[in-house]
Amino acid sequence: MVGSITPEQNLSAAESCAAAISGRFGGSGIEVSVERHSNHKKYAFVRMTTPPQHWIALAKWLKFELDVNYCSMVTGTHFPDGPENRGWEVAYHFLRQPIVDQKPNTCTVHDVEQLSGNDIPVEFEVFIPLPQSDTPTVPSIQSIWVGADWNEKETWDLVGIRFEGHENMHRVLNPHDSPDGFHPLQKQHKLRYHDHNEMYDDAQGFLRKPADEGRVK
Amino acid sequence: MAQMWITMGPQHPMTHGLWTLRVKVDGETVVDTEAELGYIHRGVEKICEARDFTQVTPYCDRLCYVSAMTWANSYIYAAEDLLEADVPERAEYIRLISAELQRLASHLMWLGAFGPDIGNLTLMTWCMRDREMFLDLLQELGGSRMHYNYPRIGGVKRDMPIGFADRVVAKTKLFEKRLDEYEMMLDESTIWLVRLQGVGYANAQDMVEAGVSGPNVRAAGVNYDVRWAHPYSVYDEVDWEPAVEKPTSVKGADCYDRYRVRMEEMRQSCRMVLDALDKIPGGRNTNYANGDAMILTKAPTRAPEGATGFSNYECTRGHSQFYIQGGGDGRGKNPYRVSIRSPMFITIPYVAKTMIGYKIADIPAIMGSFDPCIGETDR
Repeated sequence: MVGSITPEQNLSAAESCAAAISGRFGGSGIEVSVERHSNHKKYAFVRMTTPPQHWIALAKWLKFELDVNYCSMVTGTHFPDGPENRGWEVAYHFLRQPIVDQKPNTCTVHDVEQLSGNDIPVEFEVFIPLPQSDTPTVPSIQSIWVGADWNEKETWDLVGIRFEGHENMHRVLNPHDSPDGFHPLQKQHKLRYHDHNEMYDDAQGFLRKPADEGRVK
Repeated sequence: MAQMWITMGPQHPMTHGLWTLRVKVDGETVVDTEAELGYIHRGVEKICEARDFTQVTPYCDRLCYVSAMTWANSYIYAAEDLLEADVPERAEYIRLISAELQRLASHLMWLGAFGPDIGNLTLMTWCMRDREMFLDLLQELGGSRMHYNYPRIGGVKRDMPIGFADRVVAKTKLFEKRLDEYEMMLDESTIWLVRLQGVGYANAQDMVEAGVSGPNVRAAGVNYDVRWAHPYSVYDEVDWEPAVEKPTSVKGADCYDRYRVRMEEMRQSCRMVLDALDKIPGGRNTNYANGDAMILTKAPTRAPEGATGFSNYECTRGHSQFYIQGGGDGRGKNPYRVSIRSPMFITIPYVAKTMIGYKIADIPAIMGSFDPCIGETDR
């Protein structure tokens, strides 16, 4: 049995990461805190909120100083009813994984009790609130984590967040000939279950109607 | 010789689903590739916004039709994080058992589909035969063969039936012997080795940078696994160790390593299931009534204002992650935004690029060894 990361290891790693970030970026508008999940194990993770102009500096620092090597997901959210300074939000999730390249015929089996410093896996969450706007824009981190590439494509495709500096941006899940400006996860697009038919109302120019159009639902 | 683009897919056995791989070839050699996804995009994330937290579960089952139980569990952990639900220990054990049985079924489906890719048609029939054992077990829990809708926020839908544990033990022990048979057939087959060894190298750091995860990275020699690194369930209480391979080249894992690591992972799943049945609180041959406090804790249906939920789950193909923004009182009991991170959505474009430099005939071997599933990719 290999053993798992203990709550103490997890908490101390998250706290030392948070302390390092606030030591480097304190006073720049970047907020850092150590939070806990509220499900089974109540594990701790690092949560950051940053204005978009500091994001690239923070991202590079995370990558090269804290060894955060894995960009796992990018989520855009639309808050049309939100406050003026938070009409959109981009949430990033990162993991730090103790991964090293192997010499031939060897493998690394981490002994969990011996893990220390930057080898302890930690989870990071970064929020970037964006003001109300028709063109929400954040800088792209594609050049820092290759793994962010398709995540950013998807976020633009579905939510319409623009990633400044992203190379080769194109539709990935929607049809490639979707009209400009059609991003289905924006909140003005309603589902029929919201008593609206907009998803069918010519968003893609197909003149489709639901089969039970006009009937009581 | 002139270079040209060839389109493989969406109807091609290599794709294991509906997507298109555009390949630029120079003679027999692949010089560039492009992946095109989105053929079965169902808009699950949007649909979830019009469902309450419990109603989202069946949609998550349908994200990956080969591995429904792990995807539903993954969503449930995120919802529990959001709604601050407690889960009884017994329910966690049952979830672990169900997820590992699903992992066995999913890896068997992978192996069964991978065999014909390489030219070994016998493997398909053998794997389908053995997968049936685990689908039967999962059917006993969830009531259906493929989409179980089994986990609930705060526990599981119903307890293990009487006799379920004995059947799990019998089938798992039988399957452990069958795994040896598979290896005898495959590891001594020259065709199998020639098609897989030295093909499709991918090294650990490159893969992690590109967002590849799970067995594909463990094949490259690092035993990183969410189940010990960010433990969720009761993986810290049962007896297991992450499967890991020793790649034979500095270039990283080849297709053969990725096949080996999944075989080893199936052994570990068997070991985990057997051990969990011994340790399950309340006993292995007890059947608590639906909704009993041993298997289900009543969870709040509305999320605290401004709360978010996140789960990081070792799915059969890598990290599946859910990020949920809760409604809060003002927004009702539906999630405001559900975001799904599918491991294969990130892996497929990466794999497409690793094919560059190999022959066209290697493409099915390379693609198949990464275990693509398009249901979760397109969501």
